[in-house]
Amino acid sequence: MDSIEVKGLKKYYKVQKKEAGLAASILSFVNRKYEEVKAVDGISFKIDEGELVGFIGPNGAGKTTTLKCLSGLLYPTAGEIKVLGYTPFSRKTNFLKQIALVMGQRNQLWWDLPPIETFILNKEIYEIPDDKFKKTLDALVSLLDVTDILKTPVKKLSLGQRMKCEFIASVLHSPRVLFLDEPTLGLDVVMQKTLREFIKEYNKQYKATILLTSHYMRDVEALCRRVIIINHGKLLFDGKLSDLVKRHAPYRIVKLTLQKNIDESLMRGLGEIKSFTYPQVVISVPYRRISDVSAKILKDLAVQDLIIEEPEIEDIIREIFEKGKS
Amino acid sequence: MNIKKYYLAARNTWDETLAYRLNFVMWRVRMVLTLLTMYFLWSALLLPGGNILGYTREFMLTYILGTSIINSLVISNRSYEVGEEINNGNLSNFLLRPINYFLYQFSRDLGDKAMNIVFSFVELTILFIILAPPIFIQTDSSLLALTFFSCLLALTMYFFLNFLLGLIGFWSPDVWAPRFVFITVLTFFSGGLFPLDILPKPIFSILEFFPFPYLLFFPLKIYLGQLVMAEIIKGIMISSTWIFVLWFIVKFAWARGLRLYTAYGR
Repeated sequence: MDSIEVKGLKKYYKVQKKEAGLAASILSFVNRKYEEVKAVDGISFKIDEGELVGFIGPNGAGKTTTLKCLSGLLYPTAGEIKVLGYTPFSRKTNFLKQIALVMGQRNQLWWDLPPIETFILNKEIYEIPDDKFKKTLDALVSLLDVTDILKTPVKKLSLGQRMKCEFIASVLHSPRVLFLDEPTLGLDVVMQKTLREFIKEYNKQYKATILLTSHYMRDVEALCRRVIIINHGKLLFDGKLSDLVKRHAPYRIVKLTLQKNIDESLMRGLGEIKSFTYPQVVISVPYRRISDVSAKILKDLAVQDLIIEEPEIEDIIREIFEKGKS
Repeated sequence: MNIKKYYLAARNTWDETLAYRLNFVMWRVRMVLTLLTMYFLWSALLLPGGNILGYTREFMLTYILGTSIINSLVISNRSYEVGEEINNGNLSNFLLRPINYFLYQFSRDLGDKAMNIVFSFVELTILFIILAPPIFIQTDSSLLALTFFSCLLALTMYFFLNFLLGLIGFWSPDVWAPRFVFITVLTFFSGGLFPLDILPKPIFSILEFFPFPYLLFFPLKIYLGQLVMAEIIKGIMISSTWIFVLWFIVKFAWARGLRLYTAYGR
């Protein structure tokens, strides 16, 4: 069953342009200038129930706007969205009870009160039964290790502690669809890993559909088999992460450590030389030539070490974005 | 509908206010000082047995003290947040959760008012014992009940007006200026500075069809026993009509505004 279905989604913003200063403000009051920004420009995709999909794009690509449309915050300019069979913008209670949007920079905790107060308020808002609330809360609290800060006012918490509590507040009602926008923002490496494992486990246990954006490719690599890549509001790629590598990076990275210095020209025929600082050489070799080339290297050159790697996901994605620009 | 979430919203408002101890104490001190200033000013202006614009000293003092009491009841301190929350994107938190934002703000407002009432009551009792001001005490219970009822109408009307002003945030980032102008106009036309019936008759009779006089002036006139039943009924009818009208405008503006909402920032 499709959990999320998006057809031709467009979201254009009218952004007001104004110079700084009071005079400009008065001028702008009389004669307002707007510019249209195409944040999302005709995107379509489908996500099955229980899928964990990575949503990738550079800053301002339209990721967050798409997530906001999917969670019913924004009224789409055009196109159709169905999430769990609901139209998000109608914001029906039954829809809202089954989704959550977690944003790395959002604040739903009451600033002046301890996090536990927000949790209790959410318990009432989502009408979570007492026993279920207690069970979920206990599990989340021990998993994210926040027991001793539950009663500290939110304003006194560190960014990471706050993020963890935001996360708990957002998933207390066990949503079936989770939109995660930069969930690991501001967390240390250990916490990033814990949160990643939590997301994975949550996806498995609840068969929850998860759409995740992140700037840390590690997050995406660790969690998502499928990725959707967008830029300038348009869809660039939708498919398996492994296909992305195959299709957009039909080459391998060969790293050599030479025993003695040789002329660069001797290695020209092997592939594209990415860098050469003796004794390290990095060569990019087309996928189908990889066995020939490595045999040749071992035969002709005196090497101490030879490593063949898949290109970094980050590099592939950067290349896709750069191609899109030209 | 689960009422408990709205109760919690109101209660958290208390907790939140009490979290800032010094702020809270200072705020109460300010309330008392304002009240004392008004009282001493008017009691110096009006000598015993004197009469100003058709009001005796006793009635005028009651009116002036009454406005500041009803003011603290009717004026909502919280819903100014609406405009801010639209502009800083905090509104998203409410749109994402199954909670009615309008009722949420209203509960917060009521929580705030409950707090005002409790503390005002304590302070006023002390002031009355110390100053023993010449105040007109209404004893007719039906008039007291009508005063209370008209206060409820005023409170609702004021909330709608204020909420509506906050919704300007959907269209413009400048919510503060319109609000400020509005509040100033409102204080004048609601009778917060003087009883409205000292205005020229033609102006007053036009004013009667606007919501403003029903916020302060009307409840106080009922309390003072200066209105006949027909006038009271007319006033209640007009303010109820305004509440309905405002309700529809709020609903309409909210629905239109949400389409423009950009959930900036967060």
